[in-house]
Amino acid sequence: MIDAERLKILTESAKYDVSCSSSGSRRKNEGGIGNASFGGICHSFTPDGRCISLLKILLSNRCAYNCLYCPNRAEADVPRASATPDEICELTMAFYKRNYIEGLFLSSAVEGSPDATMAKLVDTAVRLRKVYNFHGYIHLKGIPQADKALISRAGLYADRMSFNVELPAERSLRLLAPQKSREGILSPMKQLALEKAAVKEDTAKARKRFLPAGQTTQLIVGASPETDGQILKLSEALYRRFSLKRVYFSAYIPVVHHALLPDTCTGLLREHRLYQADWLLRFYGFTAEEIAPEGENLPEEYDPKCAWALRHMQFFPIEINKAPLEALLRVPGIGTLGAYKIVKARKFARLGFGDLAKMRIVLKRAKHFITCGGKFYGSENVTSVKNLLMLEERSGRYEQLSMFSTPETSLSALTGQL
Amino acid sequence: MNVYLTDGSEDCFYTAVFSACTDRDCVVTSARSLQLALGSTVLVVRADEEKCGRVKKKLQQYAPRSLADISLILRRDSPGKEQTALEYIRLIVQKKAPVGDMLSHPAVIAAREEKKKVTLEAHRFTGFLRFIEGEGGILYAPFAPDNDILELLLPHFLARFRGMPFIIHDTARGRAALYNGKECVVAETEKKVEIPLAEREAHFRALWKDYYEAVNIAARPHERQMKGYMPVRYWKFMPEKQ
Repeated sequence: MIDAERLKILTESAKYDVSCSSSGSRRKNEGGIGNASFGGICHSFTPDGRCISLLKILLSNRCAYNCLYCPNRAEADVPRASATPDEICELTMAFYKRNYIEGLFLSSAVEGSPDATMAKLVDTAVRLRKVYNFHGYIHLKGIPQADKALISRAGLYADRMSFNVELPAERSLRLLAPQKSREGILSPMKQLALEKAAVKEDTAKARKRFLPAGQTTQLIVGASPETDGQILKLSEALYRRFSLKRVYFSAYIPVVHHALLPDTCTGLLREHRLYQADWLLRFYGFTAEEIAPEGENLPEEYDPKCAWALRHMQFFPIEINKAPLEALLRVPGIGTLGAYKIVKARKFARLGFGDLAKMRIVLKRAKHFITCGGKFYGSENVTSVKNLLMLEERSGRYEQLSMFSTPETSLSALTGQL
Repeated sequence: MNVYLTDGSEDCFYTAVFSACTDRDCVVTSARSLQLALGSTVLVVRADEEKCGRVKKKLQQYAPRSLADISLILRRDSPGKEQTALEYIRLIVQKKAPVGDMLSHPAVIAAREEKKKVTLEAHRFTGFLRFIEGEGGILYAPFAPDNDILELLLPHFLARFRGMPFIIHDTARGRAALYNGKECVVAETEKKVEIPLAEREAHFRALWKDYYEAVNIAARPHERQMKGYMPVRYWKFMPEKQ
């Protein structure tokens, strides 16, 4: 049985992996314990606001690689531990039975060779399924450069797999993670995407399950100089070419100090803006080019949709009672749920601003971009719209405001005029 | 003004609706602490199979899905739930058609909001419910939800833990679902039950607490978000929060 000490080390090393989802799979309980819930279930939340859905743990943190940004890199002086497949299975079963978790998210440092590590990961998944009769969710991390056959075998037992792209550009990867290569990461992703598609097409194998919840990946933001535009372009390509389910972004935290790495945390606001942009790519019909041109970063003061709308004021305002769904989705402040609600509701009655408010559609930003039955309640002037929306955004950097911190307030303090 | 007082059951509610539907400005409620308006008459309703059946049949004919919606609304823990459901039924009867998509109508908005509160809580508890392993391996999960969601949770856990005996106990209402691995029954119970723990229970509880602590990134506190997703009133039965 695993002891508290090793559990702590192996969890601490795994926690920076941001993927937490347990969705996308409809695995059934076939005479054992557990099943998967298609929408995913969060089982707890930690004081950093993140959810716990899966038991996120490493098999081992003894790593042969020396990726500079990683707390477990070979040269780092940290406590090392490893667990056996049986110990992991036993812990997963005990936690699952108590409804603490939705399944297992298993990863590992490269201990020995990539093949040996991947074999151990797959062995754990197979054991859970066959020996322990577990039908809950399993997310396996793929080890780059591992044998193709091992990776395909993993796809038969896991619900989801992920290979981390880590850094947005090949040059940064070569610099910061010398043992990894772009090719080594992308080719297994491609292999899995092709195999999944083949299983889907082959009706004879319709009952065979292969990675039902697909693949995801993760990018570290802020450890290397790539812009948001580049990052989004890469995500878009990954969604299109490998049909990934998610691309996760992780704002860089300096857990190790090195001359080649920045010494400060990347702001959480940047991560947040990237996720907002990612949603626009997946659910709102935007392209990466529209959200941020390749050499540019996302603006901090507005959300990406709002920034796009402010650059394209010629498309607005649109009439809520007539505009097609695609146009509604492009209105800042109206989400997918809001847009679908509007489309349904307007079949029965003309909608006014009052109706939208009652339907819980937030008008703070939207009112500048829409008309309801010909009425417009926003501001006509683009500059004033910009100022209004910018001020309404919460500042990402926390600072103690001085009474006279902006020129305007200090002026009004002197003259007494509000 | 007539006040129809029901016993809180679904059948009794539909019986009240039989007359209340056409009785303008009446109130249907099961709340026991009620402020009566001047000149109001209290009518205590008893479930009547025939009336209840006729209302249900009509609803089934006009809007088949509405019965499930109303059953969810009636699980709410709020004194106004019957009234919300009544307004919703009146609209269906008036339109003689499903009204679920009339999203700007006040009766539909209110009904959807009540329904959402019930389904959201049921979804949350598929994650937040915690089982304790008792002696002999039986799993026991106490919880105190705001709404009456015990039956909504059952299909999820029966599929997941098929063949494993468990008890899910709503301590707020004194009701429990008892599953012996084959059959499941819901029964009235005490509000507090003591069960002897299995030998390894304390060990795994401690491991879970360690895990919870280790997986948190202390450099990025965001307690408000945690409490938003996992309200404090649910912490009582969660080992990681004790």
